[in-house]
Amino acid sequence: MPDHTLAPLDETITIDQLTTAPYPIYKRLRAEAPVTRVKSVGRTFLTRYADCKYVKDTPALFSSNDPNTPMKKAFQAHTLMRKDGPEHMAERMAMASSLMPKTIQDVWQPLYRQLAGDYLDRLPKGEIVDLHKDLSAPIAARILAHILGIPEATDEEMIFWSQALIDGAGNFGWQPEPFVISDHANLEMNALLEDAVKRVRAEPDPSALSVMVNAENPIPMSQIIANIKIAIGGGINEPRDALSTIVYGLLTEPEQLEELKRSQKWGPAFEEGVRWVAPIQASSRLVLEDVEIGGFHIPRGDTVMTIQASANHDEDVFDHPEKFDVFRAKNPHLSFGSGPHHCAGTHVARRTVGAVMLEMLFDRFPDITLPDPEIVQWRGFGFRGPINLPVKLG
Amino acid sequence: MKITFIAADGTTTEVEAKEGDSVMHTAVQNDVDGIIGECGGSMMCATCHCYVDEAWAAAVGGQEDGESDLLDCAASEVKPTSRLSCQIRLRRELDGLVIHLPESQL
Repeated sequence: MPDHTLAPLDETITIDQLTTAPYPIYKRLRAEAPVTRVKSVGRTFLTRYADCKYVKDTPALFSSNDPNTPMKKAFQAHTLMRKDGPEHMAERMAMASSLMPKTIQDVWQPLYRQLAGDYLDRLPKGEIVDLHKDLSAPIAARILAHILGIPEATDEEMIFWSQALIDGAGNFGWQPEPFVISDHANLEMNALLEDAVKRVRAEPDPSALSVMVNAENPIPMSQIIANIKIAIGGGINEPRDALSTIVYGLLTEPEQLEELKRSQKWGPAFEEGVRWVAPIQASSRLVLEDVEIGGFHIPRGDTVMTIQASANHDEDVFDHPEKFDVFRAKNPHLSFGSGPHHCAGTHVARRTVGAVMLEMLFDRFPDITLPDPEIVQWRGFGFRGPINLPVKLG
Repeated sequence: MKITFIAADGTTTEVEAKEGDSVMHTAVQNDVDGIIGECGGSMMCATCHCYVDEAWAAAVGGQEDGESDLLDCAASEVKPTSRLSCQIRLRRELDGLVIHLPESQL
């Protein structure tokens, strides 16, 4: 019976290969073995668009609920990322209004425009700067600190906490060191949040912290704190990597950039950047019942990994998927996921990085160039983006 | 049963639909431009915003719980006939339904 055949087991793919050059591996898997158990990761990889979408859209069979991941230890909490159903919904909706377009348009977008102006002012025209380190990361940290209601946190603190949480949550080898660092970050965050909670109680504002603390029926304080930490862990690297990826794409496709400067329609460039190199490349789901995917039997208790990086390059859905092409006719990428866990920061990202930053950056530095694209390094399996972006500002 | 989608530029697309499916799902399955449905019908993304044709508004019914909050997120103007098409389930009496699409979903 074909439906009782287990998916093939791959024992050759290493985490190091997935971190440095995943796209050729995914291309091969899509063609030869789109459902594959990858031994080094201990997960069943789903590399086709349709399979990834199906899993994300079927939470009754594919659960996010997995309390036994390093995430719980890293965040010192069982967070909404790893919950399902009404519990997930209650915690998510508690901070939803601070992330919704009405608030974004009225509050965060004008603030972002002002902050982006300040950060662009600091960059020296005519010189080579690492745009990833000097713009993408700090602006992502700054706007997030405001949205969350902790503007007193510095860019450096936000970036450190975020990385500490991510490294802890990804510590599937359960090594002690990453947890030592995330414990330290938790101490710092807890201390800052204690004061911030008092402040927003006294002076409510549109921030996520204030909205949660001052709600008519607030969720428990432990979950309020956990939500803020999830947003810190998940709200800096993604917009940072998205911005650097899009700028890299545009600077290596000058004809497309010229057309965008003329039309000033930057939205599709944002969508194409996050499709081309998805900032979050893969996500796990726990299989609740025996199912069949792509003709293979997936037993209950298995963990499948939707590889949205690969789904976004699926030849069945995207023409010339390996090319950064702002002007592709359709772009139904899965970079923000699908289903109940659809990225809560989607609207903010589209309306800041997409709608504000690209326009301002290329207006301020119309002759910006990437002197040597070859020295840009790309890294990451779960999260991916450039780790440097030396541009000449002109 | 059939549904007709009318795009913002007037382009009309008639598609075959299945009872029990959502209007969003029907549009996406039939490659109708103008409905994205990025979150797959979980009421999380507001990219399946549509306007129900006046003549069908009563039969389709009003917004469900939580829908209006999400419609605040819609990219195009929200009107009294606005719905999230993922929340419109097709029943037999909606055969022939006419749906208007907004300018933009993002």
